[in-house]
Amino acid sequence: MSAPTVELNPSNRLRNLLRDPLLLVSLIILWSLLILFILLPLIRLFIRTFEEGGHFTLSNILAILGDPNQRQALWNSLLLGCLVGLCGTALGFLFAFTAVRTNLSKAWTFFLDVSIILPLISPPFTTAIAMIFSFGPRGLITYDLLGIKNFTAYGLHSTLFSETITYFPIAYLTLKAIIAGIDPNIEDMAFSLGSSRWRVFRTVTLPLTVPGLANSILLLFAASLADFATPLILAGNSFPVLPTQAYLQITGLFDIKGGAVLSFILLVPAFLVFFLQRFWVSRKYYVTISGKVGAKTQVKSVPSWTKYFLLGLCLFISAFILYFYVLLFYASIVQAFGANFQLTWKHYRVVFTEGLKAIRDTLIIAGAGMPLGGIYSVILGYLVCKKVFFSRQAMEIVSMINYALPGTIVGIAYLLFFNEPPILLTGTAIIIIACYVFRYGPTGIRTTVAILQQIDPSIEEASFSLGAGSATTFSRITLPLILPAFFAGLGVVFIRSMTAISATIFLISINWTLITVRILEKMTELELGVAAAFSILVVFIVFIVITAISLFLRLFRQPGAPEMASILGG
Amino acid sequence: MEAVRIRLENISKKFIHRLKGEVSAVDQVSLHVQPGEFLTLLGPSGCGKTTTLRMVAGFERPDRGRIYIGEEDVTDLMVNRRNIGFVFQNYALFPHLSVFENVAYGLRVKGMFKAEIEKSVGEVLTLVGLKGYERQFPHQLSGGEQQRVALARAVVIQPRVLLFDEPLSNLDAKLRVYMRSEIRRLQKALSITAVYVTHDQEEAMAISDHIAVMNEGKIIQIGTAEELYLCPESPFVAQFIGKINLLPAEVKEITEEKVMLRIFKQNYRVSKGPHHFERGERVNVFVRPETIELVKAVDEDSLKASVMERSFLGEKVDYLLELDGHTIYATSYDPLRHGTFSLHQEVGVRFNPDAITILKEVEK
Repeated sequence: MSAPTVELNPSNRLRNLLRDPLLLVSLIILWSLLILFILLPLIRLFIRTFEEGGHFTLSNILAILGDPNQRQALWNSLLLGCLVGLCGTALGFLFAFTAVRTNLSKAWTFFLDVSIILPLISPPFTTAIAMIFSFGPRGLITYDLLGIKNFTAYGLHSTLFSETITYFPIAYLTLKAIIAGIDPNIEDMAFSLGSSRWRVFRTVTLPLTVPGLANSILLLFAASLADFATPLILAGNSFPVLPTQAYLQITGLFDIKGGAVLSFILLVPAFLVFFLQRFWVSRKYYVTISGKVGAKTQVKSVPSWTKYFLLGLCLFISAFILYFYVLLFYASIVQAFGANFQLTWKHYRVVFTEGLKAIRDTLIIAGAGMPLGGIYSVILGYLVCKKVFFSRQAMEIVSMINYALPGTIVGIAYLLFFNEPPILLTGTAIIIIACYVFRYGPTGIRTTVAILQQIDPSIEEASFSLGAGSATTFSRITLPLILPAFFAGLGVVFIRSMTAISATIFLISINWTLITVRILEKMTELELGVAAAFSILVVFIVFIVITAISLFLRLFRQPGAPEMASILGG
Repeated sequence: MEAVRIRLENISKKFIHRLKGEVSAVDQVSLHVQPGEFLTLLGPSGCGKTTTLRMVAGFERPDRGRIYIGEEDVTDLMVNRRNIGFVFQNYALFPHLSVFENVAYGLRVKGMFKAEIEKSVGEVLTLVGLKGYERQFPHQLSGGEQQRVALARAVVIQPRVLLFDEPLSNLDAKLRVYMRSEIRRLQKALSITAVYVTHDQEEAMAISDHIAVMNEGKIIQIGTAEELYLCPESPFVAQFIGKINLLPAEVKEITEEKVMLRIFKQNYRVSKGPHHFERGERVNVFVRPETIELVKAVDEDSLKASVMERSFLGEKVDYLLELDGHTIYATSYDPLRHGTFSLHQEVGVRFNPDAITILKEVEK
């Protein structure tokens, strides 16, 4: 018998809160942080957009929309987002289906996983740099291999290609979980009713994946909409998009207001996607897990020739991704890629001399953000999942805002709000750390909630019945069980602190700078070798840290604790 | 420790159901459990038995009414201050702690010394027959072993009362029978007042001193297994405890202690019980399947019926008979001695007048 969970009596709710002072204190602290670091900056951005001389006005927005250039940028952003959503999801589905449904051997799965993880742990413009090396004016493929002299590597096609390669792993992770969740017994059932393989795929497997596909398209659309590094390098003048326009408005023309208004326009589609995903797609999921585990069955939905065809396709793309990284590494150890292929360490020398401050700053910021982000996400995830209190749903939604919004908006909102009293944080490390914690903490929150939902509530009740209070129950029972989520939170905040740029490019200062910003500077100064060396360094550091966290987790994993699916999931 | 009484006074609890809206889960329930007594709340799913138990434990707070453990009003007391032992349906063992640490958990919370903890845990593990399992983890144990760890964990803290929420429903049939006598033995040995929730009437009858039958948030009848079986006060209880045949009857004659009833085409002199009757009144009676005698030859003392279904179950044979347009369940024990009937065979049905019970609202 399932115990109903909704407490009807409001006085009981209040009583619960007063009887649990720890909960009350946590709520006050969390809400203060959420208001300060999420709501107030956004409100500031809002005011800046709609206010002129103390009055409400639409003139700022209308001015932007009236400018054909900016209208084009808006249209381009939406077009690019849609295309990346479709292409990336198709590619992600190909990989996920191949990985889950073709009985691949462990070695093949591992190979696919590695090539998929690389784009996830790289700075967002790594593929963009490799694109230039391959298809640029002196590109390895276009110039050296094919001999094409006037191929243009800038524009929609290359931005689309680069973003698809960068973001399809997100689609892969989303879809893999969903396809793996479809009980093969259901497919067996369709076979037993006389369906052919193609019919089973068309009428059973694919329809069950549709909500996942929709979700993946939305995720990739949002990622593309938010990406400003790739278009900055690859889109060129002929294909302006909103985030880059906002960036150039602020850094090039020192027009903060114009940048704010531009980023505000970006907010509309971003919010639309967020709510579509949250309130529509998330309700469309089919539950195919039926409590009882069915008999184990061999997946037989794919004939062997299809299997090798799919595998071949995946291998081709994986090989291409690996080629990009090899190329990047190669470019970092030659004099000048495309002109002088003599081996040298000089790019790395630059990295470790004049780049040392950026490395140190980035590591300090990532190192400080990591535990803070982990603690924040575990506590917030625990409260919204396990406790009944007033404003619970509001807290969950607010905590997701900075995650859902394009980094450009978050960065400009922070720039506006923390640049003046009462809270002057510009130029400090705190502003960058806070940005990362509240922007990337939600991944940890989601993992925490997912794990907590697997833990039966009676386990905590058992602890209470044995005389333990909330604090003891949390520290002795719940915390050990959600440790994997804590580490996932740590991992994600660290990776993003090492690789993100879209929000924090507005927040760096003379005192605190970041590796990713240095890479961008080197790109614009056309010191591509140094940019490549920096990128390789970032991938290397992130790879080491992820491996360490995974090992640590395996070593200290409590027996019986839920398995962590993937540190990068979500 | 001395056994204590549990008292529920007029407790009610409502919930919001996703589809049905506001639902009254428990409706003005009053209940007294005597010190050392083993009381079972029995009823179909959704009858409010688990909610009642969870309010005694303190996991839910009643909207109305008071709950007393011993002489103390615990209605507003948090679970962790009530000193209860709770055994969950799914055992709710801490998956990351060993058997020893699971059992020791409540003692550690109390801040007991290490030596004391080791002694108590050792004793209670011996009591449930799990000595030597200290270092195992829950996922390495079978269902029955996990159940015993849950039991040990609940009793080791020397609770004032023991509460069980369908603790045996995840075990297979044989183990269930074994574990219920284990639970009863343990409760007797420790002489702790216990409240037990189940939907299985056989389990309830086997284990309890008293059974409270619940339906739709209310207690319908409280009594010993025998009382409920022999003198149910409502069709619901009659049908829930054991199997019955509900039959129409007509009052023909009324005497001092008995009443003459016509059931189908036969007359039976049946005990009146506490009821009043009028001649010609139509009443319902019930007859338990095992009190029906089946004979090969239909004579004037028996009613003609034919076998529609039969299930041979070893020690007994269950029959479904057709009698005058009615369906009758009959059970015949010891088939070797009484012989069996085959499908569609004609049989004579004899009701035992002493086993016919009249179902009628008691007039007060």
